[in-house]
Amino acid sequence: MGNLTTSSFLVALSGIVIVFIMLVVLCLIIPIISKVVLAVQKPQINNRVAPTTRPKTEPAAKPNVTGVAGEVALIDVDEKTAACIMAIVSHETGIPLSELIFKSIKAI
Amino acid sequence: MSDFSFIGTLEKILMESGFAAFANDPRSLIMILVACVLFYMGIGKKFEPLLLVPIAFGILLANFPLTGLLNEPTIVDGATKSPGFLWVIYQGVQHAIYPSIIFLGIGAMTDFGPLIARPSSLLLGAAAQIGIFTAFLLALALGFPPAVAAAIGVIGGADGPTAILTASKLAEAYLPAIAIAAYSYMALIPLIQPPLMRLLTTQKEREVKMTQLRVVTKAEKIVFPIAVAIFVILLLPDTAPLIGMLMLGNLFRECGVVDRLSDTAQNALINIVTIFLGLSVGCKAVAENFLTFETIKIIVLGLLAFMLSTAGGLIFGKIMYKLSGGKINPLIGSAGVSAVPMAARVAQVEGQKANPVNFLLMHAMGPNVAGVIGSAVAAGFMIKVFGG
Repeated sequence: MGNLTTSSFLVALSGIVIVFIMLVVLCLIIPIISKVVLAVQKPQINNRVAPTTRPKTEPAAKPNVTGVAGEVALIDVDEKTAACIMAIVSHETGIPLSELIFKSIKAI
Repeated sequence: MSDFSFIGTLEKILMESGFAAFANDPRSLIMILVACVLFYMGIGKKFEPLLLVPIAFGILLANFPLTGLLNEPTIVDGATKSPGFLWVIYQGVQHAIYPSIIFLGIGAMTDFGPLIARPSSLLLGAAAQIGIFTAFLLALALGFPPAVAAAIGVIGGADGPTAILTASKLAEAYLPAIAIAAYSYMALIPLIQPPLMRLLTTQKEREVKMTQLRVVTKAEKIVFPIAVAIFVILLLPDTAPLIGMLMLGNLFRECGVVDRLSDTAQNALINIVTIFLGLSVGCKAVAENFLTFETIKIIVLGLLAFMLSTAGGLIFGKIMYKLSGGKINPLIGSAGVSAVPMAARVAQVEGQKANPVNFLLMHAMGPNVAGVIGSAVAAGFMIKVFGG
């Protein structure tokens, strides 16, 4: 049967096993990397988000409120951009716009 | 000047011309016909024209007699005689330069986001390498030496640069046949895969609508190529040229601070190297190497390898369909062969035929790019075992 030997079957088997092992390990590593990266990023995001939550105690946003569309306060954001953001949030979350409540949209 | 004869000079020119030399070896004429067939496939049928057109022209040039285009550098009376133009160009394949640079460009063009969002796609990319190893066994059964059989098997990875790199290291004489088979089958994916997809999956499986992938952050995309390069290259150093360049290209794309390099890698550089790669592959297709029964066997084995890889991906896709409780559409398994993004597009088209609201493209891109990594790992393994 040509050059087929027992060792050639072993080579083929080892090859596919190596490919699987390599990609399975990558498959396990990727979520770990993602978790580490997201964990490192979280405090940074929180730090960035923190000032936007402050307006409750200090009404710093007042001077920049450019308009109110329904119930939504638009802070340094025009209506067109706000509409896009609301549409994207609705699409990404799968919640219809009619069921979503936006309190404010603020440029950061 | 008195003994000058116009007819005599004309006769001398004709006798020393390439036309007269065809009489010594008419096989070159057949190779020119082969080049014309490839021109028709590339230009007329638009099958991978970016590669087939330069390959065909390389074949044409290499088979013109007396050109000296493939002459190696020789030392005559202490002086080095210049090598032929195509011999110089070929050194980029000989030393794995072009396939690696092509991978740099592929990395710069590829979004690994779908793979990061669903890492289980990697398993489909692994399963779709089964064709490489089964074709290797079939090639051995047909009498090819082990190293050549390994290079033929890599056609099943549906990855042109990887097939060329492996062939240049393990089966140089068969490089043109392997490269032409690899690129031809990559071009024929929309014809080869759909019948297999319909044969191996049920209508219910093809209709599965997959849930949206999560958003992958920029930082994850930046860390990914670095981590993969460290892990894969340390484990299989022979994959360094391909995986290293693939991941460098991807880092260019994702890091956001070297846009000019990313742009060069995915446009100008890859285009320039594609010209050289095509010419290099074509110029090795000289009659004595190419017009053999082995070439036909390679073409047939390449097709089998490709079909087996597709089947491997689909069967594993079905396993994942069962394990996930019907959440994974097995069609995306066929994209595990690494022809990016053609295989993913075929999965999208077939999925949409079964269910018009099905959008599998992004889901299929995961296995598709996993296939690129998988075929590079498989090639690295073959080079390690048979490369001496």
